[in-house]
Amino acid sequence: MSLRIGVVGAGGFGRAIAVASARSGHDVVLWSRRDRELPDPIRVSTDIADIRDCELVFLAVPARHAVEATEQLGEVVDGRHSMVHVSRGLVGADLKTITQLIRDKTVCRRLGALAGPLVAGALAEGRPSGAILGTGFPDLTDMVREALGGAGLRIYETRDVIGVELASATVGFLTVVLAYVQEVGLDPSTLAVLATRGMVEVSRIGQTLGAKESTFMGLAGLGDLIAAVAGDQRPELRLGRALAQGVHLTNAVGEAGAYVEGIDVAGHLIEHARRLGLETPISSTFVAVCEGRMSKDDAIQALMERRVGKE
Amino acid sequence: MLKRLLSERPLRLPHIKPYVPRPSDPSIFWFNSERDDIVSDVVKRICVDLEPDRSRLEIALNDAAYHEIRRLENQRDDEARDRLGYWRSMIRRIGKMDDTEQRRVLHTIVTDMTRDVAGNFDPRVYRFARRAVPRLIGGVMEPRRLMAAAPQSLDRVLRVQGDVERLHHLQNEGSLVFVPTHSSNLDSIVLAQALEISGLSPVIYGAGKNLFTNPIISFFMHNLGAYRVDRRIRVGLYKHILKLYSQVMIERGYHSLFFPGGTRSRSGMIERHLKLGLLGSAVEAFTTNQVRRVDRPVWFVPTTINYSLVLEAETLIKDWLMEEGQARYIIEDDEFSQIDRWVAFFRKMVGMRGACIIRFGDPIDAFGNRVDGRGQSLTPTGRAIDPGGYVEQRGKPVVDAVRDAAYTRELGEVLAQRYEEDTVLMSTQVVAHVLFRDLVQSTPGMDLFARLRLRGEIGLDREALCQELGQARDRLCALEAKGRVRTSDVVKEDTPAELLERALKFWNGYHDSTAATLEGDRVVLGDPSLLLYYQNRLVSFAEDIAGSEQLQAACEIGKLGVHR
Repeated sequence: MSLRIGVVGAGGFGRAIAVASARSGHDVVLWSRRDRELPDPIRVSTDIADIRDCELVFLAVPARHAVEATEQLGEVVDGRHSMVHVSRGLVGADLKTITQLIRDKTVCRRLGALAGPLVAGALAEGRPSGAILGTGFPDLTDMVREALGGAGLRIYETRDVIGVELASATVGFLTVVLAYVQEVGLDPSTLAVLATRGMVEVSRIGQTLGAKESTFMGLAGLGDLIAAVAGDQRPELRLGRALAQGVHLTNAVGEAGAYVEGIDVAGHLIEHARRLGLETPISSTFVAVCEGRMSKDDAIQALMERRVGKE
Repeated sequence: MLKRLLSERPLRLPHIKPYVPRPSDPSIFWFNSERDDIVSDVVKRICVDLEPDRSRLEIALNDAAYHEIRRLENQRDDEARDRLGYWRSMIRRIGKMDDTEQRRVLHTIVTDMTRDVAGNFDPRVYRFARRAVPRLIGGVMEPRRLMAAAPQSLDRVLRVQGDVERLHHLQNEGSLVFVPTHSSNLDSIVLAQALEISGLSPVIYGAGKNLFTNPIISFFMHNLGAYRVDRRIRVGLYKHILKLYSQVMIERGYHSLFFPGGTRSRSGMIERHLKLGLLGSAVEAFTTNQVRRVDRPVWFVPTTINYSLVLEAETLIKDWLMEEGQARYIIEDDEFSQIDRWVAFFRKMVGMRGACIIRFGDPIDAFGNRVDGRGQSLTPTGRAIDPGGYVEQRGKPVVDAVRDAAYTRELGEVLAQRYEEDTVLMSTQVVAHVLFRDLVQSTPGMDLFARLRLRGEIGLDREALCQELGQARDRLCALEAKGRVRTSDVVKEDTPAELLERALKFWNGYHDSTAATLEGDRVVLGDPSLLLYYQNRLVSFAEDIAGSEQLQAACEIGKLGVHR
């Protein structure tokens, strides 16, 4: 049965969702602030009211625009709508996730967070890929599978919504770290240690916010990180490389070509961990490096000198 | 023997002439005339669900027999003597029974259990209780005024806050489900009185069987619409019956009360992880009415019960610290069962302005949305929406247990948030927090249990303490302005010195141990576990109300609440 699908945001991922949904035979309306050209039969609208008739809404805007977008959506959605977001960020210093924001700004309750190694290109072109949907509503998973469809896309489900959102947000930062390490020429074994221990570090913080460790070790966390390190051309990789070449953070962000939320997220996570007395050696060290407060050599030395514990 | 008869069996007054409810009577007045119908409705739904599937039916019967045999073997009482034989004989025969026999047995078991759960409502007992309870409690507080204007004593102690007018209107339009925080076994009595003085209808509620062990309380429970919850029964069918009974009552418009925390907060903290069973029954009641096109909405009233002094504080915190909260789920030997503690408690409360505050929060629908006075669900910006949309599939309302369970989890999150926002912090809690924070600050690196052993060893300068108290109070008021929490009038209006004096007066002389004492210019900390209990109400706000010097200690206190 054909679904009425709304996509909010006309960035790379928003357009890919619209294309994939239209290919599956659904009615698709894509809301954008500016008029855009998209292939038929996707309808592009600049009027948020056109989302009202949709059953399933994909929110595909960066976290920094999420407040404004959800406020606008709040005026048109109600209990009939289901909403799934694909943001990799968190909102503000209190680490608010996008589903929490949607709950605050709208009356939509059937919510999900789509994350994992799925990238816009694979989705738009229908290449084999996989993703994870965090939701408490199994029928929403069925809808998303139906919407984005295709034999090549495997969408797994978990009830750990906050875990998916936190893992996805922290992978952004870890990707910057790993790109940095690759660029300065450290061994693959160093890369592996930083990736796994970094994931353990952020998962420990995530658990204090209600996330499950297993989610960080699954598609939303390690799975996504593997795709990033394998080189799927994310802006975080460009940012990490630029920083390693000695470019200042402000200019490096420019070179990344897109806004990278990972550094802000890491800063807020470190602050949260500090209040709870949790250690964050990898995150703290690399935030200091990114912000120019620590040199590359000092950072590596500081991490290598730490006491080694049990895994 | 008499005690057992009174507590185990529903004692009812004889009826010479059945009471015919008037249209203006609250819905609960119709309960007795509908009781048999309600019991059959519950039995029918369970049987219709299980009968078509022989394997599920057989599992349900085996589960019932197995758990009842285990319970009765452990109980070794009169009930065991009466019933153990029945279950033992039944468990041997289940596999050999044909379909008809299995269905007949299921029907019998479910009917017996549902009848045991279902309550009774006697308008005469209700009217008597309305008059007698305030007088009795008032009399305990001020014996000299027993025959005069005793109820005023209770009114002085008990304050009601919230938009009662809105609730007045909503109670005529749909089913109200009061979902309070739970600190004490007095909660249901205090809440019943708060409903009474606010002119709101009485409610039905599930009362733990432990409350029925006191013959007088048992008599009132049996006759005021309470349904009986025996937590010792582990049978799956029984749990199903309890939820369905609650659901059917709400569907039929009976206003209800249950404590989503499940049990009294052992730590004194505001509940965060709520039990979703009965909450789910109310969500499903909404869905069922929608599917049946019955225009009877269900609204939830988050309610906080805030005491300056908690009757069972010492037992509760001890239990939490011993990590026996689960094992001793039903505490039967606490202060609630000791009449002398009641007398001491109420005497202490009298004369203390606003010693107990019941706050009825703004009502919400089954999906956590605010509801206006006309019963309309509202978006955050005030647009009215149809809550029926939440249970629609392709434009039609449908029953979907998995979806409703997900809505219930969401509702639990909203309630937990609302509990924080609607908690009214009392003088004893604020003072305890500042004292406990000073204890943490002056013992760096020490663990919680080592700190709790420091009785009478820490002395604080009174003037410095009052200064900290004033700062903490000001910061709490700033949080209140942002809608994060509330404070009592006493906390807002008293000077820090008065607050300190008031808290000490509340504690000392009621609790067996001493929380703190004044010794000249110094305040000496007594039993830190008592301070811990009262200060635990503030763990979520500890960092927000700390100055830079106390931040470290506040963070440590905040950590207590991370896994609550």
